[in-house]
Amino acid sequence: MDQYPTEEEEFELQYQEEMDMMDDYPDVNEVNIEPTPAPSKRFNSTQHSQKTQKSILQSPSISQIFPSSPASSIEDEGGPVNRRLFGTPGTSSGPKRFASTPFYGKSSKINRIEEVLEDVEEIEEIPENGALDELMRIGTNKNKRKLDELFGDSPKKTYDRDLVYGDDTYVDREAKKAKQEEERDLDLIEKIMEARKKTKEGKNPGMQDHVDKLNALHDFKMRNLSYTIPNYPFLPIVRSDDERLYVRFHSEEYEKKHIDDIRISEKGFSGLLGDQKEQIWTTAREITVKRMTAMENSSSDDVVEIPSAGLASSKGDLWVDRYKPKKYYDLLSDEATNRTLLYWLKMWDKVVFGKDFKKPQTAYQKQQQNLNTFNKKTGRFESTGGWKNRKSRLNLNTETDEHGRPIQKVALLSGPPGLGKTTLAHTIARHAGYQIRELNASDDRNPDSFKMALENGTQMTSVLDSEKRPNCIILDEIDGAPHQSIDFLLRFISDTAVTKPSKKGAKEQASILKRPIICICNDLYTPALRQLRQIAFVVNFPPIESPKLGERLLEIASKEGLQTDLMALMALAEKSGNDVRSCISMMQFFNATKNKLLLTDVLNGNFGTKDRNQGLFDVWGAIFQIKRPQKRLETNNNEEAQVVLGNMSTATRMNNVLAVVHAGGDYDRLMQGVYENFLRQKMPDPNLTGVVEACHWFCFSDILNQQINHLQNYSLYPYLQFPFVVWHLLFASLAWPKINFPHQGFEFNQKTTTTKMVFQAFRKGISSGVIGAGQGAGLLTETVPFLKRILSPSLRSVSVQLLTPREKYDLNHTVEIMADFGLIYNQLKKPDGMYEYTLEPDINLMCKFDGYPGINLAYFSKQLISKEIESVVLRRMAPKASGPLRPLTNNNSKKTAPANHLQTLKPRINEKSKGKELEKRVSKDFFGRRIAGTSSTSHSEGSSNTGWAKNPTVGGIIGKSPIWYRYKEGFNNAVRKDVFMKDLL
Amino acid sequence: MALWVDKHRPRDLSKLDYHKVQADQLKNLCKEGDFPHLMFYGPSGAGKKTRIMCLLRELYGGGVERLRNETMTFTTPSNRKVEIMTVSSNYHMEVNPSDAGIYDRVVVVDLIKQVAQTHQIDTAGQREFKVIVLSEVDELTKDAQHALRRTMEKYVATCRIILSVNSTSRVIPAIRSRCLGIRVAAPTEEEIVSILQFTCKKESLHIPEGLAQRIAQQCDRNLRRAILMLEACKVQQYPFTINQEITELDWQMYLRETANQIMLEQTPAKLEKIRERLYELLSQGVPPDMIFKGLVQNLVLNCDMELKAKTLQFAASYEHRMHNGSKHIFHLEAFVAQFMNIYKKYLADMVMDDF
Repeated sequence: MDQYPTEEEEFELQYQEEMDMMDDYPDVNEVNIEPTPAPSKRFNSTQHSQKTQKSILQSPSISQIFPSSPASSIEDEGGPVNRRLFGTPGTSSGPKRFASTPFYGKSSKINRIEEVLEDVEEIEEIPENGALDELMRIGTNKNKRKLDELFGDSPKKTYDRDLVYGDDTYVDREAKKAKQEEERDLDLIEKIMEARKKTKEGKNPGMQDHVDKLNALHDFKMRNLSYTIPNYPFLPIVRSDDERLYVRFHSEEYEKKHIDDIRISEKGFSGLLGDQKEQIWTTAREITVKRMTAMENSSSDDVVEIPSAGLASSKGDLWVDRYKPKKYYDLLSDEATNRTLLYWLKMWDKVVFGKDFKKPQTAYQKQQQNLNTFNKKTGRFESTGGWKNRKSRLNLNTETDEHGRPIQKVALLSGPPGLGKTTLAHTIARHAGYQIRELNASDDRNPDSFKMALENGTQMTSVLDSEKRPNCIILDEIDGAPHQSIDFLLRFISDTAVTKPSKKGAKEQASILKRPIICICNDLYTPALRQLRQIAFVVNFPPIESPKLGERLLEIASKEGLQTDLMALMALAEKSGNDVRSCISMMQFFNATKNKLLLTDVLNGNFGTKDRNQGLFDVWGAIFQIKRPQKRLETNNNEEAQVVLGNMSTATRMNNVLAVVHAGGDYDRLMQGVYENFLRQKMPDPNLTGVVEACHWFCFSDILNQQINHLQNYSLYPYLQFPFVVWHLLFASLAWPKINFPHQGFEFNQKTTTTKMVFQAFRKGISSGVIGAGQGAGLLTETVPFLKRILSPSLRSVSVQLLTPREKYDLNHTVEIMADFGLIYNQLKKPDGMYEYTLEPDINLMCKFDGYPGINLAYFSKQLISKEIESVVLRRMAPKASGPLRPLTNNNSKKTAPANHLQTLKPRINEKSKGKELEKRVSKDFFGRRIAGTSSTSHSEGSSNTGWAKNPTVGGIIGKSPIWYRYKEGFNNAVRKDVFMKDLL
Repeated sequence: MALWVDKHRPRDLSKLDYHKVQADQLKNLCKEGDFPHLMFYGPSGAGKKTRIMCLLRELYGGGVERLRNETMTFTTPSNRKVEIMTVSSNYHMEVNPSDAGIYDRVVVVDLIKQVAQTHQIDTAGQREFKVIVLSEVDELTKDAQHALRRTMEKYVATCRIILSVNSTSRVIPAIRSRCLGIRVAAPTEEEIVSILQFTCKKESLHIPEGLAQRIAQQCDRNLRRAILMLEACKVQQYPFTINQEITELDWQMYLRETANQIMLEQTPAKLEKIRERLYELLSQGVPPDMIFKGLVQNLVLNCDMELKAKTLQFAASYEHRMHNGSKHIFHLEAFVAQFMNIYKKYLADMVMDDF
């Protein structure tokens, strides 16, 4: 009985479209929950003919199942139930039975059946034990097992599947035939058993076997209720003690049969359900009514209320808290949003509540699937598919990852304040059976404490809490959290292994995020949230419709005894921008002051307006659209205030626009938006007078801006609003304006930056001698365009050697210029595998206009040029290295010193001491002693000394030799001694 | 230095092709050994930089031509790094402070002061002052120009500043008065023709008189442009013919096309198209005043006197405003809209007159 409200909630939530269906369900549930035995046991003793059985019980299903192909029968929602109910022979017996069938002769079998039927007639009179014996006698041993199964606690689920196997393996025609016979046989046996049971019941209807009854009840419950996620179609229910139950979902036929069944039994004997049922119904109704009223009075003793609300029952509490939605039912926010979020939360069921991790689908999806198949059979649940489709329109990814978690592991709710984001998150999380752990701006949110909170929340359960519900983390006001914390959150979500690299591999299993996280923010486009936005499941909160809000406000008002009318409340809602919280607060304020809220009060301008941030598009819309006149309060001096319609005078419009623009701020972007849209608005003036006027004001605001930025003279800032008024007066119309987001300005900036970068790079590459090319704008606007032409010589695709002198000259010229400007061709591989030469820096990007060619050279020419440039650049590098040392030469002298390694050691003759040196020169041996006999000629053999290097003759020898060295400092005459190979050998 | 513009650039004051009197005067100026700050002004491509380099060579000898590129980094008060390229020799330094955009003041204050403050160590056989060449000074912000003022006076003992300016009107009077202005007028067409022929002779090419004249006409009396055109023509087609196609500047053609479109249709939709084209021009780095000039030149071609006057008047006022603002596109478009407006009225009046 307790399940009533919860169940309805559940239904309301999931199958609102199928509300009509719902009407039927309480009956079923009642049956489920009532201590009624399985209906199969209550029959009139007389009704045991085949026909009656068919109408009464599931036998039609059986007959339906068996002749039809087993594959389809599995899909049949009712099939497995019935088979299980009636104890279809077990798997193991299947093949065996097939093997045994041939022993039965066809005729003998029929005889047997007749016999059995006769037996059944007899059984009526036979006492119970006898019947059982009889049955045992008739049936094979397996029937005994069947009996056990029938009354057993845990019906085996594998039956149907095994039956399929049996069929698949036995394709043999004979076997099939045999099987059919077998089936018929079994059918009969079952019928017999039914008949017997009925007889038994019929004999003593009043005092039924209590054990039997309990067994049946248990059996029924086992079949229809489950604590874990069952594999039949189900409906999750949260019991009052917050246990989750899964109630079986039955087909309509089944249900009808049950109802019929009950009716029949009622007709048959008034005993069981007659007045008892009535009584139950009345009690149920009473309780429901009590609930409803309790809910409406919103007393604090609600079943699903959060504990913290317990102290809110006093009179002095805030209305906002008092009328906080406590159930899913009460939520004011957009239904689609609510449901999407709940759907997302349900996708976690697999990980959080389910135990089976092998199945690829979440339980919820499975249910969905079942529903769809069911849909096929009955044609009843059509809208289910539609609902699902609609779901997918919102950007919820219904896929799950390998752990059965939804791909988007975080939900990010965004929307202006006061729409009930936090309330929704709390309500839904509670509804789905989670314990809520909230972390909001008031908590410490540095990365460390953030980490702690996240890890604690996801990996632990509270010990003190008796309910032991899993946690759901709600990160409120996340847009204010520091960047590092959000980074940590991202890492936490994406791959928790990263956050715990120090831990051992064994721990890894535990570190997987297994709890849903809901983030709430006001501004979705905070830079810190950029990455989170990409991976999260983003739920944008649409504003609450003011009629809906107005109704709710009226409800509250009536409960609180505040005199008001819907008009006033609607106006209040509109005024506050549909902020629920501020509306209720305002009502409480009025209640406190005078117990009356009239339209005039609302319009009285002094309160209730929120300085809310309007989107850019709203502002642009206000600029380009003439606002419809609004109710306004006008007070003439001394006269009573009256509500009048605002006019559309220029003054009003001006004030409106000013207010909107002022609230919008960011004049720069607003102006850009107006600039890029005003030409598309309706313009009656044929001579563009209005446009000219508008342009004037653009110039004006630009100059103003420049002044403000340049001189930091913010006293001019207020004047920036007024151009918007002019534009509004010039271009606004009553029609809804089409406004595009301004992008031209942005693109222009991007392009300009790119061009500037290329130009910078280009300028850096220009060698210092190039003066004639100009500087700055001159270089860009004059030299570059011509350079593009000059660098596109026409070259034939032949090797350098085959070029004509003129072409060679052209090539050299081009190459020289490119080297001067530091341009090179880079070979790049294009995505399609082709090679391509691109200029570096790419002057083609500068001064590039559509329809005007840049450098157009064949691939081959570019290749040729690129090679030549390399050599030219190398050639130029060489003199540069020794440049500063060289004596000054003519500036453009082409005379280049040979590279260092090509230079040979040349003796330098000291002119002054030349003669003396020759004279003084004495040959010394290793230890510096004089060697008398040696003459300069002897050195020609090769035994030279460094000292001799100054000797021109010796120098010549050294200079000619391929070995050279440079004398730096110190004495190396000791080292330099010729050693012959023969000395070493 | 293979580009003809550089290759055949005169390097000595005595070898200049035109303004020979002025060249002599400059020579005399150097002979004196000292000279005041100089301001070379004249249109682009007239030879200001050539004259400055010649002057420096006259002053310091060939050493000034051994140039090196340096990149200097400055930190603005707002902690932004600004990179400035300088070209310098042992005797002088050349900077384009307007490269730093709105941070040009920092460049002027830091760099120029720093260079100007230091003395030459070895004055023997050298001038006792260094030279700083500032190009495009008219592009400098007022702040930077004011920052330059005092520097010019204070460090006159150690450094001379040579300014290269396109238009003196944008140089503040304080600076103008501190400099000796040297006007480098654009060469006449005849001069250009002769220079083109001289260049060709040096390159041992033959250029028909007619082609040289056509180039001279097309180049806006901009010698750099003329020589570049010649070179581009050479690459496109050689031997030269008189009626050979002369390469034009892409952006000029684009601008002309834009002007034609304005003349064709005057509607808001068209204005939007024009705006796109203007954006394109601006983003490619074409200076907005050049766009203004090009537009006006092309627009007034088909106007009668009255309309011409009006157009010019509007152009002037809008251009003036543009220099006070920062978003050039607004002003350009405002001018285009204004022109559309008056042109449309003019057309309507014409139709009315016919009746």
